[in-house]
Amino acid sequence: MGAFLEGRGKGKEMKVLFDVLFWILVIPGIIVVGMVASWIVRKVSALVQYRVGPPFLQPFWDVMKLMGKETLVPQEAQKAVFMAAPLVGLAGVLVLAIMLWRITVTQSAFVGDIVVAVYLMVLPSLALILGSSASASPHAAVGTSREMKLVMGYELPLVLALIVVIIKTGGKLDLTQIARHTTVFSISNILAFLVALLCVQAKLGFVPFDIAEAETELGGGVLMEYSGALLAVWKLMQAVMLVALPLFLVMVFLGGFGPNLLAGLGKYVLVVVLLILIKNTNPRVRIDQAMKFFWVYCSIVLVAAIALAITGNNCGISRL
Amino acid sequence: MSWKIWSLKKSPWVFHVNVGACNNCDIEIVNCLTPKFDVERFGIKLVGSPRHADALLVTGVGTRQAVPRLKEVYRQTSKPCVVFLIGACPCGTGIFHNGYHVEGPVDKIIKEEDPNAIIAYVPGCPPKPEAIISGVVKALSAI
Amino acid sequence: MNREELQNRLQEIKNKVTAVEQTTDNRIYLPCEAQNAYAVSKFLFQDLACRFVIATCVDSDDCFEVLYHFSYDQLGVVITVKAFIRDRENPAIESITSFLPAAEWIEREMHDIMGIDFRNHPNLRRLILADDWPDGVYPERKQART
Repeated sequence: MGAFLEGRGKGKEMKVLFDVLFWILVIPGIIVVGMVASWIVRKVSALVQYRVGPPFLQPFWDVMKLMGKETLVPQEAQKAVFMAAPLVGLAGVLVLAIMLWRITVTQSAFVGDIVVAVYLMVLPSLALILGSSASASPHAAVGTSREMKLVMGYELPLVLALIVVIIKTGGKLDLTQIARHTTVFSISNILAFLVALLCVQAKLGFVPFDIAEAETELGGGVLMEYSGALLAVWKLMQAVMLVALPLFLVMVFLGGFGPNLLAGLGKYVLVVVLLILIKNTNPRVRIDQAMKFFWVYCSIVLVAAIALAITGNNCGISRL
Repeated sequence: MSWKIWSLKKSPWVFHVNVGACNNCDIEIVNCLTPKFDVERFGIKLVGSPRHADALLVTGVGTRQAVPRLKEVYRQTSKPCVVFLIGACPCGTGIFHNGYHVEGPVDKIIKEEDPNAIIAYVPGCPPKPEAIISGVVKALSAI
Repeated sequence: MNREELQNRLQEIKNKVTAVEQTTDNRIYLPCEAQNAYAVSKFLFQDLACRFVIATCVDSDDCFEVLYHFSYDQLGVVITVKAFIRDRENPAIESITSFLPAAEWIEREMHDIMGIDFRNHPNLRRLILADDWPDGVYPERKQART
């Protein structure tokens, strides 16, 4: 967009104006898009279950209602960590979302930004673990241990899937270069995309991998002791994750916001709908089943994908 | 009407408490939450912890063993909150009226804990899911 | 075995019960004194291979009655051992958990609610009354209501 404006001869003033507008509107904009995305999740789930879902503004009302409730802090909880954990999580995903959307919209990436993105993606899970272990509750403690095991499970396949793409594009660590050069319909890319989709499903806390939050559905799991405004921050964090993570998948595996904005948004909606469909057609798995799934099956698939990618590069076959 | 109550009416999250019911009303509540009746249209969601809840769905006559637990759950629900008494038993002890274990209708117990509690009654034995939904909707529009 | 054979087999314990009453097609009552109930239940469970269904307790005016219900599934016949406990001050009966561990909890419930002491019961603690219920008050006894 900046390049477009410069090409028209409007020059520096418009670019500065555009930048200022961007930085003012980006955080509310991302939160609004996150709310819309979480509404899309609930509405599509409802349609799949042959019912009418919540109205469009429901996520806004949820957050508004939570802000109006009293915040109860357990007596033996570690109060500083208890209150700081949701804020840390929300800050992490907001930085990730801003970074990804800015890269997409202005095509300005930096070398190694994919590494930064991976690091930032760990922050929400870490915040969840810290917050629930500071809760001083046996249900939350069980949720903590399960979330820790789940994170150990899916981080490895996620990084391996990214390595597949990095190999395919010849060692580029720059998100716009990756988006431009990746061959979307090659076998290794499709395998890596499917595995990364399941890892993102686990990171978002969707069924079949919502082991941490809803597992002790008898108790509410990791977020059990949170109420009021802190719970609203957790819900916002989950909504913003829904903005950032599918966009990350689109940029790495599906060729970014390719030919034009509309195609890019279409790809983003496609990824979100895939997540929703997997969510609605599967039961929840146990934590040992999830670990086995990620460490054994996903890793084998990815090792095969890496081998295919390397041979494809060496032999010049791009469809591998 | 303050914005807190207005937003509570738009998105009431429910938590189910059984203080000595025969489980009939519990089954009807769970029926309500299935896709057939689709209470998510009203923003109603079943949550797993009383701290997340706006509405307590209480079933059962208050038994002696359950009374301190019910008071604790009520304290743990973050205010403002509404208490729905589902079925004839919590509304006025139903058929268990003179039982040796009955500590009185549940609204008496809740009022001991908090005299200003907002309590709504949905009688029936058990009330049909349509009755429960209509009771919840009527109570929320009357607050 | 068919019904006649069942009736014949039931005559084997005739000396322990006061009668063998067949009220309808599928109901047989064996009223007996409390000290014989153990032997009669053991006979029904082990020799006739009946299935234990449940036990109930009644506060009659002059005695307590403990009823053990057994089912003979092949014919669909329910045989009830009706034990009369004549001593109202200290009601006691031999527990049948020695050969029927499944009766443990129902006997605990009868002890809680009616106050009947089951001798040789492995675990006669409070089961269904509230934690702060006073000891020695048995809710379903007739004088508790007046």
